[in-house]
Amino acid sequence: MASFLRLISLLCLPILFAVSVNGSVSEGTEEDFSEDLLLKPLPDRKVLAHFHFQSRAPSSRSNSYGRHHHLFPKAISQLVHKYRIKEMELSFTQGRWRYDHWGGFDLISSSNAKPSGVELWAVFDVLPNEVDATWKNLTHSLSGLFCASINFLESSTSYSAPKWSFHPESENMRYGTLPREAVCTENLTPWLKLLPCRDKSGLSVLMDRPSIYKGYYHSQRLHLLSSEFDSNAVDSAIVLDQTLTVVLQPHNHRGTLGYSTATQLQPSWSLSTIFGRRVIGKCSLARSSNVYIQLDRGLMAELQGMLGEQEMFSIARAGFEGSRSNPAFELSANPDRVHMEMSSRYDKHASVLYMFMVAEKYDDSEPLDLRFTWKIPVAWSIPQAPLHVTRFLLGSGNERGAIALQLKSTKPSDRLMPDTVFADNCSLLVRVFQVVPWYIKVYYHTLHIFINDQPHKINNVIEKMQVSPSKDKVSPGVMEMLLKLPCGLKSAALTIEFDKGFLHIDEYPPDANQGLDIPSAVISFPDFSTSTQFVENNSSKSPILLKWQGQNPILSYTEVLLVPFTTPDFSMPYNVITITCTVLALYFGSLLNVLRRRVGEEERFMKSKATRKLRVLHLVSKLLAKLRGRQWEPSESQSPSSVSNSKSKLLFKVILVAGLAAAWQYYFG
Amino acid sequence: MAEISEPSKPPQLDSGSSEAGLSQFDPKTMRNTKPGFKRLILTISVFSSFLLGLPFLWKSVEIYRAPLPFKDIDALSSHIESSPLQFPCTFRVIFFGFDSMASRAEQLKSSILDEMTKLSSKSSLCGSCSNNYAVSVVIESGSDCSQTRTDASSCSWRCGALSASDFAASLENGLQSADDFLEVALGGCYKPASGGRVYSVVVMNKGENVKATIGKYRHGWIVGRVSEAEAIAKVAETFVKLFGNGGTEDGLIPGEFMPVGADGKIFLSFNLLNADPDDWIYDWDFQKVDEVILKPLIEELTPIANVSVESQVLYHTPTSSFSYWDNKQESYIFNTKDLPFFVNSNEWHLDTSIAAGGRSKILHFVVYIPSARECPLLLQLPDGQISETNGFISPTWGGVIVWNPKGCLRDHESKLLHRHMILYPELEKIVEVFLGQFRQLFGLKSNPQHVGLSGTFNILTSQKGFTEWEMDFLSRQHSCFNLHSCASSLGSLSRLVQSLPRMIIIDEIGKQVKYSLEAANLAQKNASMGVFDAAAISSRQARSLAEDAFFHPSIMSVSYFSFEHCFAVYSPFFLPVALHVILAAVREWKRYKQEHKKYIAFLAKPKQS
Repeated sequence: MASFLRLISLLCLPILFAVSVNGSVSEGTEEDFSEDLLLKPLPDRKVLAHFHFQSRAPSSRSNSYGRHHHLFPKAISQLVHKYRIKEMELSFTQGRWRYDHWGGFDLISSSNAKPSGVELWAVFDVLPNEVDATWKNLTHSLSGLFCASINFLESSTSYSAPKWSFHPESENMRYGTLPREAVCTENLTPWLKLLPCRDKSGLSVLMDRPSIYKGYYHSQRLHLLSSEFDSNAVDSAIVLDQTLTVVLQPHNHRGTLGYSTATQLQPSWSLSTIFGRRVIGKCSLARSSNVYIQLDRGLMAELQGMLGEQEMFSIARAGFEGSRSNPAFELSANPDRVHMEMSSRYDKHASVLYMFMVAEKYDDSEPLDLRFTWKIPVAWSIPQAPLHVTRFLLGSGNERGAIALQLKSTKPSDRLMPDTVFADNCSLLVRVFQVVPWYIKVYYHTLHIFINDQPHKINNVIEKMQVSPSKDKVSPGVMEMLLKLPCGLKSAALTIEFDKGFLHIDEYPPDANQGLDIPSAVISFPDFSTSTQFVENNSSKSPILLKWQGQNPILSYTEVLLVPFTTPDFSMPYNVITITCTVLALYFGSLLNVLRRRVGEEERFMKSKATRKLRVLHLVSKLLAKLRGRQWEPSESQSPSSVSNSKSKLLFKVILVAGLAAAWQYYFG
Repeated sequence: MAEISEPSKPPQLDSGSSEAGLSQFDPKTMRNTKPGFKRLILTISVFSSFLLGLPFLWKSVEIYRAPLPFKDIDALSSHIESSPLQFPCTFRVIFFGFDSMASRAEQLKSSILDEMTKLSSKSSLCGSCSNNYAVSVVIESGSDCSQTRTDASSCSWRCGALSASDFAASLENGLQSADDFLEVALGGCYKPASGGRVYSVVVMNKGENVKATIGKYRHGWIVGRVSEAEAIAKVAETFVKLFGNGGTEDGLIPGEFMPVGADGKIFLSFNLLNADPDDWIYDWDFQKVDEVILKPLIEELTPIANVSVESQVLYHTPTSSFSYWDNKQESYIFNTKDLPFFVNSNEWHLDTSIAAGGRSKILHFVVYIPSARECPLLLQLPDGQISETNGFISPTWGGVIVWNPKGCLRDHESKLLHRHMILYPELEKIVEVFLGQFRQLFGLKSNPQHVGLSGTFNILTSQKGFTEWEMDFLSRQHSCFNLHSCASSLGSLSRLVQSLPRMIIIDEIGKQVKYSLEAANLAQKNASMGVFDAAAISSRQARSLAEDAFFHPSIMSVSYFSFEHCFAVYSPFFLPVALHVILAAVREWKRYKQEHKKYIAFLAKPKQS
């Protein structure tokens, strides 16, 4: 498969590039909007739904100075103009993308699989010394616009400036993540407000809040690309891509969950079973409104193994034959078009895309309720990125630890070859971008690399490395690396040690005992890129297809790490104040007392007191004797009774202390 | 220890010796040595060092407060409260064809003044030329010309500057040309003292019907057979009600609802709302409107506010209340009493503008295109009439116009032509209604006639939306309201600051307050000199600076560093220590007094014996 890919991309690279350039900048002078929905069965019995809305505004230089809008959201256009944004991406994600089950080598996994929480990056067209101020203002505007605490990215400890590893155009770029941000409807509503039809009509009607938030993965993304400030651009435009990617579990009445086996039928699904709603019609403002069902390469390969040549032909040509049913599965409607991926001589497996246009023919009485029914059990594996990445913590205790980044090959070693390498000197390039908060004090000299579990010299592996160490309370540490790994590797691991810093009492987050997060690392494979070229390259200029055909880098995000921290007792400062002050006050008081003490006088006083006390004792014993009705013997009983008296006193004291201690233990212990 | 125990020896020795020697010496009541100072001095010195240290401690826990000119603020507020701004206005009446009263100019002047006082005593509108006006009367009769004496500050009239025949000729050509003619003929007097503004009324005794017209510059004319008393009444009303008060009624729109943001900016947000895009979609070419109609208006309004324009088209925006079908009108009717529910804030996401700052005013102007289900939609006035403009305003929010697509009943069936453009002539009409609404939001009337006590006045409208005399009035009114609001925000700031003695006040606030006061004083000076534009601009600055100071983020976030906090931190040390120190000092002092008494007693005893 890899060789096939290599060939495809080699053949189509120049063409694709041209297509993507043409595609990214609008040719029209009108604002326009289009909507797409992609559905895709996943091997682990789930369904991926990917909404893609594209709004496009023509140049503001030719008309209206960007102040008058027809379809394009006013707020976004004002944002672009106020902060001079060249490119920006904001994503809200809940859940973790499972690269092994849901794919790692296609457009959706590389551009819509996002780290959980909020991720924001932006490229500005301002002077380098104004970038930080612009970024801060932008975070505040966005947090107002999207009802999220994006303004926490304002502090310089929470964002960084990647140089080359995150994005090719990293000049004047800022990147920040909030791993702990919860995502909910209050973020979706303002996002929907940017669409001309909101969720009143069109495909966005499907966004039933309970069903899309019930899913296993939910990522809502907004990508802005503007060439407004590019003086070289011939026709400038702002392109706003809004995507919502959800992974849902179709309702399965026979009910066993989990990875499907060869003998078990995959669950059948329809729009109404996964979303609980149906498409009534297109958004009347959309230029195009399409629903796609994609069967990926792995699935097609598996089907080919199971079915004959003739049957495969019927799958690929379903639309034209008018038969929406084939031995493997059945579609409830005839696709309007079938896009077959351009296949090569070496690899016959190619993905298939069924297109359904949401046209006028659907209405309230006859809504579009696309149904996909499996007829035979099938199990397949989805195309993967060359390396599967996991990240975890090593070590124990609250003092120090280590971060380990593990890369595991997803393919047999001989096939793990990037596109650009032909000969025996085969290597695989991997870019790593890691931001570490300042309170994790990373020792960069402790970087170790293991290849196939054997320690390796760093210099042999690292092609390029750029580190900007963290500054306490000022900026996070950024580590950018380009690794050159041998092709035949099974696994590689990077470890780096760190100390946990001490935070000031104000710097702890509200729930400090939970621990603090290390944001996801971004791993990208510069040698690889996905681009799918379809056989029928006809006039359908649906934005999702154009995106598909463009060159898309392969990247994956690692997990967010949770580092447990020693948390102080937050009432400590006051306790410290109290105890020091008490000690000082005691010292002061006793010193003063000692200074004004008159020893002789006190002794005299004591003496006179002692005599008085004796007299009192005398009286008491007399009284006691009288009470007992005995003759009072003054002198003999005096000494033994006093001894026993003092003994009982001691006993009483001991019991009192023990009782107090027990009570303390009982009530406060 | 030895050192400490040493002073206690003498009394012991004394007691020993006294027991041996003097029999009448009682150690409890007297002593034979002077009591020692050592411990007293020690405790007192510790106590006093604490007392001395207290100011330093106080200084160290003190928070920074920029000095605010409280006195000046109070002076400004009291000045503005006690004496409302006096804008000087200069009026002039020119009589033509009143041969009978050739030399009674002074008499006429006094009767006009009387009439004006009668009128103006009722109106105390902020920004009117309340009682601070000068009137001059000119009587031109043929070659003869007489005028009242004028003081040096105002222009004197050049006899024969305006010829009656030329004016009559220009009147023939229509009102606009007469207006322009007067502007040329009466202009040319620019004395800085009154801001170069003279409001003139030309009274011409000619023809039959009496017609009073107010031009779009700073003059009006009354033509027709008028009696002297009638002329005086009309002239006085023109001066007071129109030139002075801008033709507004008292309390039409109170000053607090002025549609200008605290930072002196207005954002006009124009929205085209397609209630249901599945029925039809209308679009507009607002670009052209912006360039052709709105630009002159924005330039005109610069002294009062910075105006920016933006527009958008929204879809799927139903109203939140429903209309009913009326067979007689053949349309859907929306009642006035339902108007509060017309604006559907859930679905009309008109949005605040990102381009606007925090305290700018955003005025929403909405063109609502009803869906096919309720088309045509008409608004009904409370008296059952159908609204002519089919729109309404909401003070400080903006205005709404319902625009019914042509022949929407017919189009309902054919869905072929889905997208439409609102044609430019149509759009022009809509924008005219907007302009009317905009004037209303500013408190000005938008009908071309003013019905006063002494008859109706025609008011010529300006292409720009606001006539010059209206702009003068708006400038005056805004300077007045801005100064009021500036004084009140500064006053509340000073009260707040004084009521919270432990609130941090950074230097920037002090500076803002200072500049605001300066701008306010400048505005007052300009106002008293009659330079209305400059007064409006500096009063705007004063207000925005005052608001900036009041809403400064440092006040908002760390409102104050409380005394309780300070107490909680320092009391664990100072409370016990103070107890020790004070008690020790008091005890030693008492003891010293007691011992001293004993010693006195001892000294006195030998004298007795």
